Amino acid sequence: MIESVPTGIRELKLFPGDHVCAFYRGSGDRDEVLMPYLRTGITSGDKCICIVDSANTAEQVKMLDPDDGVHGHQQLDVHIPETSYLAGGGFSREEMLGFWTDHLNAAADDGYPFSRLVGEMTWALRDAPGVEDLVLYEAELNRVAPKYPTVVLCLYDLDRFTGEVIVSIVKTHPKVLIRGMVVENPYYVEPDEFLRYAEA
Amino acid sequence: MLDELEIQATSGEAVLRQRLGNLRALLVISLLMTESVEEEQILQLASSSAPGLGHWRIEGYAFGDGAVGETSWRPGTNGGSPRAPTGLAAQLTDLGGTAGPVDLPGRVWASAFPLRSVTGLLGYLIASSDEPPSTDENFLIQVVAQQTGVAVSNARLHAQERATAAELVATNAALEETVSTLQRSMRIHDRLTKVAVSAEGQPGIAKALHELTGMPVAIEDRHGNLRAWGGPGQPEPYPKESFARREQLLRRLIREGKPVRDGARLTMLASPRPDVLGVLSLIDPERAADTADLIALEHGATVLSMELARVRGIADTELRLRRDLVHDLLSGTDDESAYLRSDALEHDLRQPHRVIVIEGRGRTRNEDLLLHAVRRTVRDHRLSFLLDSWSGAVVLLTAGEMNWEQLRTSILTELGGGQCRLGVGGLSARPSELPRSLREAQLALRLQQTVISGTGACEYSKLGVFRMLAAIPNLSEVDSFVREWLGTLIDYDIAKHAELVKTLTQYLEHGGNYDATALTLSVHRSTLKYRLQRIRELTGLELNDPDVHFNLQLATRAWTTVEAMRH
Repeated sequence: MIESVPTGIRELKLFPGDHVCAFYRGSGDRDEVLMPYLRTGITSGDKCICIVDSANTAEQVKMLDPDDGVHGHQQLDVHIPETSYLAGGGFSREEMLGFWTDHLNAAADDGYPFSRLVGEMTWALRDAPGVEDLVLYEAELNRVAPKYPTVVLCLYDLDRFTGEVIVSIVKTHPKVLIRGMVVENPYYVEPDEFLRYAEA
Repeated sequence: MLDELEIQATSGEAVLRQRLGNLRALLVISLLMTESVEEEQILQLASSSAPGLGHWRIEGYAFGDGAVGETSWRPGTNGGSPRAPTGLAAQLTDLGGTAGPVDLPGRVWASAFPLRSVTGLLGYLIASSDEPPSTDENFLIQVVAQQTGVAVSNARLHAQERATAAELVATNAALEETVSTLQRSMRIHDRLTKVAVSAEGQPGIAKALHELTGMPVAIEDRHGNLRAWGGPGQPEPYPKESFARREQLLRRLIREGKPVRDGARLTMLASPRPDVLGVLSLIDPERAADTADLIALEHGATVLSMELARVRGIADTELRLRRDLVHDLLSGTDDESAYLRSDALEHDLRQPHRVIVIEGRGRTRNEDLLLHAVRRTVRDHRLSFLLDSWSGAVVLLTAGEMNWEQLRTSILTELGGGQCRLGVGGLSARPSELPRSLREAQLALRLQQTVISGTGACEYSKLGVFRMLAAIPNLSEVDSFVREWLGTLIDYDIAKHAELVKTLTQYLEHGGNYDATALTLSVHRSTLKYRLQRIRELTGLELNDPDVHFNLQLATRAWTTVEAMRH
C-alpha cells in the first residue's frame, strides 16, 4: 500500500507521484503554502528542491535550511528561474524535465528516500522564448512524476495568470489545490493526448 | 472494421473526457470566482477563461436589469466590445430576464445569458462567437453566466458588509474619540475648577494648565510682564516685546476671542472687564497642541478671568474703604471707629498724622492725573499714607515726616512738569483732630495765595503771626481791631470796588518797597503811588510812623487770616 505524504498545508496529504497545481493570490498567500510544505519536507528528511521567482524570496526560503544535511548534502536546494526554467535565456521543456530528473536521481544517489519539488510559475509571464510551452511542459511532467518517489507542487498566482491559462492548467493537472482544498480531476488530459492535440 | 470501431470508441471517450475536463476546469474557476470579493476580478476571470473553454468569447456584461447605458456596461477581455453595442438595451428588455439571441454588429452569433442573484436579475452576460456554438459549449456559457451571477452577487453582499463594518468601525472610532475628549474635558474642568476655588492664584493656574497639557505655561499682564510660569524652561531674564507689537497682539486677541497662534505660542486673552486684562499662553514650538489642549487653554483663560476679577474686586473694595475712611476722617469721626477701620485696612492710625493738601494748576488740575502722581510719589518715598480727592484737590494723610518741598517737586517730576501747590497741616495726635489739620493745610494754601510770596510747600507750623491769629478762638476781638485800623479802607473798597486794603497789605509785606509791591499787584508804580496817597487821605494816618506801621501791618495780617479762615 502506498503511504501518503503530509504536505504541512493544514491536514492535506498527497501521494508519491502526485503533480499538483496550487492557486494563490499574492506573496502572503504563496508563503502560506510554500513554507509549511518545505518545512514539513525538511522535518521529514525529504530532499526539497524549490524554485522561486526572485532572489529575495530565495533568501527567505533558504532560512528554512538546516546547517548540516542529514546525509552530508544540502537538503534544501533553492533556485531562481535564471538557474532553472529560464537557464540559457529561454524555456525548453526538454531541458527542464531533464533538470528535474537529474535532481531527483541525484537525491536518490545522496540517500534521500523521498523528494518534494515546488516551483513558482510566475516566470512563464516573462517575455522569454519558449514560455508559450508552459502547458505542454505541465502535461509532460505528469509522465515524469509517477516514476519517482516524489510530489510536485506548481504555484500559480491568480492575480497574474489569466483565466485561459488557469483553465488549461486545471485540465493538465490531476489535482488542484485551492485555499487548502484539493480538487481532484480524474478527467485530466493525459500527456500523450494533450500533446497530440497540441501538435495537431 | 474492428480498428474503426476501436478508433470511434477511443474518440468518443476522449470527447467525453474533454467535456468532463472542461467541467472540472469550470468548477475550479467557479471556486475561484466565489472566493473572490472584488467584482471586477470575478468578471475578468470569467471573460479571460472563456477561450480556454471553447471557441467563444464574452463581449461584456450589461448590469442594471437590462437598462443598458455607458455606466452599466462592463467590457469583457480578449476582444470584447469596449462600449455597449447599439440597440442592445432594447433587445435585453425584450428578453424579460431569460436567455436569448441578440444581434451584435459584425458577429455571426451572439446571445445574452442572465446573471442572476438570489434577489433577482443582476444583468446579462453577452457572449459571441464566429460560428454557432455546439450544445456543449452553449451549456458551458450558461454555467459560466450562472456562476458569474452568483459570484458577483456574493461580492456585492460582501462589499455591503465590508462597508457596513467599516462604517461601524468609523462610528466606534469617532465615539471613542468623543468619549476620550469628553473624559479629558472633564479632567480639565475638574482640575481647573479646583484651582479656581482653592485661591491658588495665578501660579496655581499656570501649574495646573502645565500638568494638563504637558506644555510650559506663561501668564502675563497687559504690558507683557510675566506674572506666573508653569513647567520647565522659564526664560531668564523674561523677554519683553515692543509696545507696538504688544498692542497689536492684544487687539488681535480681543478681535478673535479664541486661542490665537503667536509664533511658538498658543495664546488667549483673559479679560473679565475692559480695564482688567491678562494673557495666558501655552509654549508650543512643535505645534503639537490638540483639541483637548485648546479646551484646556480656553478653560484656563476663563479661570484666569475669574482670578483677575477677584483680585481686582478686592483692590476696588479696599480702595473704596480707604476713600470712605479718608472722607470720614476729614469730616470728623470718633477715634475708636477710625482705629477699627484703619486696622482693617492695615493702616496704623495710632501714630500722629497730618493732612497735606495738594492743588494742581493748569494742566495738573486733572484730579485723577494728580491723584495717581501723588500716590506713586508717596510710595516712592516709602511713606505710610491714606489718600483721596477732596474739593478739587488731593488730600494726603500721613504719619511720615520729610522735606515737603522735596515732595512737591517729586510730584511735579512724576507729572512731567507743570505747577502745583502744597499746604501742610499740623500734626494731629488723634484721628478726631484731623479736620483741624485739614483746615490748617487749607489755610496755609490760601494765605500763600494771598499774602505769602512763592509757590513752594507752605507749612502751617511756619506761618508765624498768621498761625497765632488763626488760633484765636473768638474772632470778634480780631474783627474789632481790624475795623479800628482798616474799617475806612474796607468800606471804601466795597463801595468803589477798589483794592486799597490789598494794596496796603502788599506794601507793608514788602517793607515799603515800591517796585516789589507794584510787581506783586501787577500795577504801574504811579498807580501804586496814587493808591497809597489815597490811603493816607482816607485814613489820615502817617504810614512811616513806626507805631502806625506796626498796627497797620498787624491789622492787614489779621484781616488776611480772617478772610482766609472764612473762605
